[in-house]
Amino acid sequence: MTTLREMRDLAQRLMACEANASNTSESAELIILRVYEKLRKSLGEFAGSAAFRSLASRALAMARSEIPRLQAVQVAEDGALKGLGYGLGHGLSEFGPQIHFEEDRPGEQPIGDDGIAVIARLLGLLLIFLGEPITLRLLRNAWPGAAFDERSSDIGRKP
Amino acid sequence: MSTQDKVKINKLPTGVPGLDEIVGGGLPEFSFNIVAGAPGSGKTTLAHQFVFANASAERPALYFTVLGESAIKMLRYQQQYTFFDPAKLPDSIRFINLSQVVLEKDLGAVLDEITKEVEKANPAVVVVDSFRTMVRKPESDMDLQSFIQRLALFLASWQATTFLIGEYAEDELRDNPIFTVADGLLWLRQTAERNSIVRKLQVIKLRGQDSVPGLHTFRITDAGIQAFSRTFGLTARRRNPPSNRRLCFGIPELDKMLDGGVREGDSVLVAGSSGTGKSVLATQFIAEGIVHGEPGIVAVFEERPEAYAERATSLGLDLETPQKEGKLTILYLRPLDLSVDETMQSILDAVQKIGAKRLVIDSLAGFEMALSPGFRADFRESLYRMIFALTGIGVTILSTVEVDESFTEFPFSTYSISFLTDDIIRLRYVSIDGQLRKIMVVIKMRGGNHAKDIREYEITSKGVVILGKRLTEYQGLISGIPVHSG
Repeated sequence: MTTLREMRDLAQRLMACEANASNTSESAELIILRVYEKLRKSLGEFAGSAAFRSLASRALAMARSEIPRLQAVQVAEDGALKGLGYGLGHGLSEFGPQIHFEEDRPGEQPIGDDGIAVIARLLGLLLIFLGEPITLRLLRNAWPGAAFDERSSDIGRKP
Repeated sequence: MSTQDKVKINKLPTGVPGLDEIVGGGLPEFSFNIVAGAPGSGKTTLAHQFVFANASAERPALYFTVLGESAIKMLRYQQQYTFFDPAKLPDSIRFINLSQVVLEKDLGAVLDEITKEVEKANPAVVVVDSFRTMVRKPESDMDLQSFIQRLALFLASWQATTFLIGEYAEDELRDNPIFTVADGLLWLRQTAERNSIVRKLQVIKLRGQDSVPGLHTFRITDAGIQAFSRTFGLTARRRNPPSNRRLCFGIPELDKMLDGGVREGDSVLVAGSSGTGKSVLATQFIAEGIVHGEPGIVAVFEERPEAYAERATSLGLDLETPQKEGKLTILYLRPLDLSVDETMQSILDAVQKIGAKRLVIDSLAGFEMALSPGFRADFRESLYRMIFALTGIGVTILSTVEVDESFTEFPFSTYSISFLTDDIIRLRYVSIDGQLRKIMVVIKMRGGNHAKDIREYEITSKGVVILGKRLTEYQGLISGIPVHSG
């Protein structure tokens, strides 16, 4: 079974892809939002914006159980994520090629985990509904050139 | 216009086993097809099979989903089928959701969206699932017929083979102008017959194709849809000219009664009540064929293949070795709810696989019982079609049938199927000298001069053995209660 940790790892790699693609340094929130927007566009085209919004709402609800401060974040009617990073602007590391998030520590999540938690849950839902091959193909389509195969991912690896 | 002047229409594989034969060799390239039927009838699965069979990275398939089943759920379920190849997503097969456009705009906007995507992707296949759900808003500035007309024109110009999927009830088929636009109209039906579900498909219309008319059974398994043509895929096969070759039973006296054996390509019926040795005779027929290098198929419904082979061993007949050598197949076709056509398709597949020359169906009663109740009404007709098809290619068929023993009548079969048999051998009990003995008579032999003798026989460790000469000392043998006259 795919673990939340693996999904967080995958979310981090998506962010690293985005950070690498950008020439300018951007804040973690912006990179997270860019990852989310790419997922929204790709999944929205494939499944429809209503379907994406439903999945995103579910992902957010699950992430809230992990990080209660995500109560302030909402999924808008069009599926956009609103309120992420609101009041959390400080303390977020800047993403770059050396992007690294701390390991899971219950009750002690770093502040930058907010967006990752949402994206990890969203990816987890896609894996549940579509399975690994189709999910990875959707991601490859959204991030052409990025390596999402089993060699670089824990997804699908035997424990 | 000569044949070479005519435009050649390429036929695309449907990806559905059995359906190519039904649609006349494949679906015409660039055709505009409607797949209609009630919810759950298999429309989406059929479209997926076509898409996976034909899409490539160079000429992809665009699968537009509208309202109704969400693409995520659809893919969740569809990927369970063995034909589903995730490697084809998204380069060869792209799913595009149009629900927002449908909800917020009108059919004109939907057409624009499809046009935009088609021009971008240059697809070989386009599916709109389900086009019927698009007509939701009465204020739509374009009615469905006009939308479909324009869509058909556009997609044909872009050299795309198209499927529109729609939920339609049976009574909507008549006078529906939408169907006139389509080149092909496939109707899928699913009906409950007592406790069984019967699925059938019909090619109502297919321009330019010699499709097989009528209702064809289909089944949905983990491999997707499998269709069973009413002609069993044998329409293209030429019938063999009648043969004069005789096939023996290996029972010398019986072979003599049959003027040397049954004619190759005949359909033989062995009728008798329980315990008269019908299966023994059938086993001897198949075993003798193997001795003469004629591969055989035994379709059993009342006992398992192991038991059948074991019983043959007790008669000194080895059915194990020819099975291992690929000269004999014993098919066990007992699962309930089989459609008559898929049962017959299994038999045909086995016949074609080993090049069988002899086929035993043991028994017709068991065969009928193995079918779902809804198919039993079609039994005789389907049996006729199968026997006609197989004997036409030179297979000799021996069917056994149990008849109720009556001491006032001499029935050949309870199925009224003697019309589809060339030869009938009747076995029955008679009461003679305080014993229940067995007699055999050849009732009918089409195109042959068979013996009229009534012969007594026994079932021994060597199988059926005909005793002595014909019974001349008794009158009324076929009544079962003869009178000694000698």
